[in-house]
Amino acid sequence: MTTLTHSSDPPPLTGAAGPPGPPGPGRRPRRRRRELSVLLAIAACVVLVTIGTVFPIGAVLASAFSAEAMPRYAEFFTSAVDLRILWNTLVLGLLVGLAGTAIGFLFAFVQTRLDVPGKRVLHLIALVPVISPPFAVATATIVLFGRRGLITHDLLGLEYDIYGLDGLVFVLALSLFPVAYLGLLGMMRGLDPAMEEAAMTLGASRWRIFRTVMLPLLAPGLAAPFLLLFVEAIADLANPLVVGGDYTVLASRAYLAITGEYDTTSASVYSLILLVPSIGVFLAQRYWLSRKVRTTITGKPSGSVHLITGWVRWPVYGLAVLVALVIVALYGTVIAGGVTRVFGVDYTLTFAHLHEVLLGVGREAIADTATLAIVATPIASVFGLVIAWLAVRHLPRAGGWLDFAGTLGVAVPGTVLGIGYLLAYRPDRYAGDFLVLPGLVGGSAVAGGSIAIVLAYIVRSVPAGLRTGTAALSQLHPSLEEASTDLGAGPMRTFRKVTLPLIRPALLTGLSYSFARCMTSISTIILLVTPGTRIITSQILSAASTGRYGVAFAYCTVLTAIVLAGFGVIRLLVGRNATLHRVAGSTERHKR
Amino acid sequence: MTPPLNGRARRSLPALAGVIALAVTGCARTSTGPAGTAAADTGKVTVACGATEEWCAAMAEGFATATGVKAEFVRLSSGEALTRIQAGRANAEFDVWHGGPADGYAAASDQGLLEDYVSPNAAAIPDRYKDRTGAWTGVYVGVLGFCNNTKVLGEKGVTAPGSWQGLLNPALKQNVGIAHPSTSGTAYTALWTQVLLNGGDKDGALAYMRKLHPNVLQYSKSGAAPAQQVARGEIGVGVVFSHDCVATREQGFTDLEVTFPAEGTGYEVGGVALVKGAHNPVSAKKYIDWALTAAAQEIGPSVKSYQAPTNPGAKKSDKTVDLTTLKLVEYDSVAAGAVKSVLTRRFDTEVAQAPKD
Amino acid sequence: MTATRVTTDSESAGRLHLDRLTKTFESRGTAPVVAVDAVTLDVAPGEFITLLGPSGCGKTTTLRIVAGLEEATGGHVRLDGDVIDALPAQRRPMAMVFQSYALFPHLTVSENIAYGLRTQRRGKDETEAAIKIALTSMNLLGLENRSPHELSGGQQQRVALARALVVQPKVLLFDEPLSNLDAKLRGAMRAEIRRIQRRLGITSLYVTHDQDEAMTMSDRVVVMNKGRIEQAAAPADIYFRPATVFVADFIGRANFIEVVPERMDADGTVISALGREMTVAAHPDVRANGAAYLMVRPETLSLAAAPEGGVGSVLRSTFHGHSVDYEVETNAGTLAVTVPGPEPRRLLAEGTNVTVTIDPGRAYVLNKD
Repeated sequence: MTTLTHSSDPPPLTGAAGPPGPPGPGRRPRRRRRELSVLLAIAACVVLVTIGTVFPIGAVLASAFSAEAMPRYAEFFTSAVDLRILWNTLVLGLLVGLAGTAIGFLFAFVQTRLDVPGKRVLHLIALVPVISPPFAVATATIVLFGRRGLITHDLLGLEYDIYGLDGLVFVLALSLFPVAYLGLLGMMRGLDPAMEEAAMTLGASRWRIFRTVMLPLLAPGLAAPFLLLFVEAIADLANPLVVGGDYTVLASRAYLAITGEYDTTSASVYSLILLVPSIGVFLAQRYWLSRKVRTTITGKPSGSVHLITGWVRWPVYGLAVLVALVIVALYGTVIAGGVTRVFGVDYTLTFAHLHEVLLGVGREAIADTATLAIVATPIASVFGLVIAWLAVRHLPRAGGWLDFAGTLGVAVPGTVLGIGYLLAYRPDRYAGDFLVLPGLVGGSAVAGGSIAIVLAYIVRSVPAGLRTGTAALSQLHPSLEEASTDLGAGPMRTFRKVTLPLIRPALLTGLSYSFARCMTSISTIILLVTPGTRIITSQILSAASTGRYGVAFAYCTVLTAIVLAGFGVIRLLVGRNATLHRVAGSTERHKR
Repeated sequence: MTPPLNGRARRSLPALAGVIALAVTGCARTSTGPAGTAAADTGKVTVACGATEEWCAAMAEGFATATGVKAEFVRLSSGEALTRIQAGRANAEFDVWHGGPADGYAAASDQGLLEDYVSPNAAAIPDRYKDRTGAWTGVYVGVLGFCNNTKVLGEKGVTAPGSWQGLLNPALKQNVGIAHPSTSGTAYTALWTQVLLNGGDKDGALAYMRKLHPNVLQYSKSGAAPAQQVARGEIGVGVVFSHDCVATREQGFTDLEVTFPAEGTGYEVGGVALVKGAHNPVSAKKYIDWALTAAAQEIGPSVKSYQAPTNPGAKKSDKTVDLTTLKLVEYDSVAAGAVKSVLTRRFDTEVAQAPKD
Repeated sequence: MTATRVTTDSESAGRLHLDRLTKTFESRGTAPVVAVDAVTLDVAPGEFITLLGPSGCGKTTTLRIVAGLEEATGGHVRLDGDVIDALPAQRRPMAMVFQSYALFPHLTVSENIAYGLRTQRRGKDETEAAIKIALTSMNLLGLENRSPHELSGGQQQRVALARALVVQPKVLLFDEPLSNLDAKLRGAMRAEIRRIQRRLGITSLYVTHDQDEAMTMSDRVVVMNKGRIEQAAAPADIYFRPATVFVADFIGRANFIEVVPERMDADGTVISALGREMTVAAHPDVRANGAAYLMVRPETLSLAAAPEGGVGSVLRSTFHGHSVDYEVETNAGTLAVTVPGPEPRRLLAEGTNVTVTIDPGRAYVLNKD
């Protein structure tokens, strides 16, 4: 169908899409080819986001707006219970956004502004939650900090009820803060130190500089992770199921409408209502991001960062170390839980759980999950980068929509997307009598239903590559690519030979994130698993929901190990000494 | 500068998207699913399995050994299974649905998702454990009980409650776990049991739940969750299916002890059913026939699933509850299901929202 | 009265003294780098001093040590006689204008200017009056409520200057403040900075790598190389009486002719070059019979066609319009000669035999090393 559009309308499409070059009869054919490659890239991206995101969401919307769903809206907005759930959802998003951003800020601040030892270790610990297998942190939290928690009860003698909003905020903020941390770290490193020095020479104290210069400058930058965490928090499913207690949110409500009440219509309604704040906040975030943080006005950053050496650093550092210790304790519990009989009751060392995971039932799941993730990861990263490249370089206006559609995969709660896949791709699709698209979901589908899972993986991880790609590309001066284009290379060739090598670190980050996301994704694919394809996260859910925590922990440990190994392999493949080339060279300025 | 697409090209982008969307949409074929003839059978059966992973795997293996027919399964909770079967209405993904409470089967049957099949082996199953028209047949029974942590109760100086009234003991404040009836079949069974014990009076049932409310730590999402909380000592008593408690004890939580309410208790029936439009109807029926045999029902306890078998001929494990020794209420899942949404909504507003002091 | 309140008069200007200031950067695995090497300098109240040198010569580090933004590893900074080494940047009565301007992008022009005053907790009326005057004197009226990014480069520069001046610092520090402006604006800003500095009589330390900037603005120029001061002197002295070959070479263009000073006398030293004996001013260190250079600027040499018996021949000629540059091959090496305001009929073709005349009054003898 894409070729149809091309052939029906060729002259204008090839007319002026290329970069302006000196007109000459000899260059004409080459320009035509150039534009075609960009168009093919656009077409591929459009197809991906349409199939992967837009259409399934459309299917959910169609169901949520069906006639039988209509009375449910009236019920929702008149029921105190339902409105309470909506309120709970928003409060949760707000608190997790605030707490996660605060922790991220704390770690970034310690990293960039404090003169303290062990920053490297702190950095690595802060990255650990990037790989958070569902249930792992939540379950470990209950074991450590619950009513009978090892720390809260056995150590401190408290009977603290972790279930509910407090537990949810604790778990989600700890699981999600690395995103905020990494974003703020980059931003604080990019902050022109001269700004702080200027304030210093004007007599401002450290605290006053922090209050009147750093915070206002970072404020737009704080909004972005806050909104991102808000969206992720309200979309999260696994944690509300484990530590939510009486605190019900829309995501878990939608899931339970299916599992507990067999009511797909209600689930669609809850999903739609969940979509509104998700997409709204997501749009707000895009608005914030589009207002570029003006850290520097002109010129290159100068001066040097003044690390805080006074006594103030110790309480701040202590706070960060405390958080780091909690993370270590939680993940330590996961690992220890995988090799003890019943963690918390019977600490006998056993390899039975690991045995089951590695050599028993789990082996198949590990192989399947890894295979699908390995297929999906490079595709997702490449698409992420290509969409970023198209949006930043080639499609100043329409690119925004492409970028939006690409990022939708993460803005939409996973459960909603999963239901969308089920609704959209379970049936075979016919145009007349002609089979256009065979069913993708289910064991009898093509490739045992794994296509739908791979597609879901891709769609859920494209935004990671897209975001890092966009950031890297906006830092890369277009003149480098223009130089290549002027030398006669087509846009695709330029992308491959010039752009891609220059943004290799972004590729590395994108690949790593994508892989971690694929491996730990649960909410979307829970409805897509088939007899032919077993997925680790679904096995974890199964083990955790039947109370076999040892096995669940063992799965989580293995999953984390696989993701870490994946990171290593990606690093080897992409190249470890990939450094970001900055173009604001000072050499240019010295010779005038 | 960046080479922008010209206006026409830019305009054609949405058009392109439209064309693709159209092609993808096409139309979902809603016509006849395969009729399900014997000839179409591939000699393999795909099961939507609502039991635990191990039980499902053991059943698939046992079936293959007994009949030589290969069985594949996906473990799905009842709701997930129902959703998947619904989505496969035009082109069935599963042949058999096995495991999970009967109310799910009743819902599926109402939506026309199941094919009636009265297995020759169903004759052995008591009537209260099967659907009259053969939409589903019971393969196991789970009985509602109290899961007690003797250590925690000992600390509080309370003995394990033996009755619903005993559960109201003020010493158990914030120490009882039960799931929320709107999200958990277990909890709804408990709620409906109260209705039955009150002679069908829903107000009386809710009044009891309100009295229990101060003792409840939280209404968890999943029905089995209170067993875990009891096991970890977070609470003293959980209202769960007794087999969940036994299974948890078998994992090493040795402080657990099951008691049953003297007034009478409710139960759930786990079903097995033939999916409408199944691609492998012959093998599917073979599976159902086999699942009702005594031998098939003896598999559960070997993989730590201690539900009671429906086939009276099945050998009982000592960890499985003996149905004959218990006082059971006359549980009618159809009647229970009919008022579920009304009753859970009332529970939500009249009980769950109330302050706990 | 207002003018004196918000500006600094000569009495409050500080005397700055750098006493054997040293900064060594240690890094693991490599030899320590001496960025600033025993720099001693006295800056009189109200004096405008430029630190000039190639990049990496230590000039910026020196400035940052004075500001308190960098800690010296040796030596002292004195302000009005007091050692201020231990004083943090916040407490030093100095203000700095940064290369990147470092304007606060989230604040308006007035808020930027007010920043230092608010820090000092000045009264509201006083602050407002001070801002008003700063805006007026910096020609920024009407821009009060703009954001920095809405300003041109020159306007941003003026805001940065106003922000620094308004706190009445005893010493004003400049870190290459004009390097981000285009050539024309740079010229205008030089004049403006100099005008204001003169008017306020504020002690200023100015870092640049642009010799033109240094020459036009400063009372004294301090030429630095490899962390050391090569020479500190008035611009004309730096130009005509460079202390070292490095200074002569770094400031403008210079010809170096090897000479042997025959004897010293009151006016300088007697040498012979290009077949002529002459008395030329000499650096105090120059000794008779030592190895020395005669330094002559290309534009101080005069050139005449000499069909017979010249001292050299034109190797290359470059016509600029306002001047002609010649390279003349002589027995003393190749000399650069600039002829300003050339006459059309007197242009010398390549290969022409010429005489080259040195003006002893504009030449200088300095030691070879």
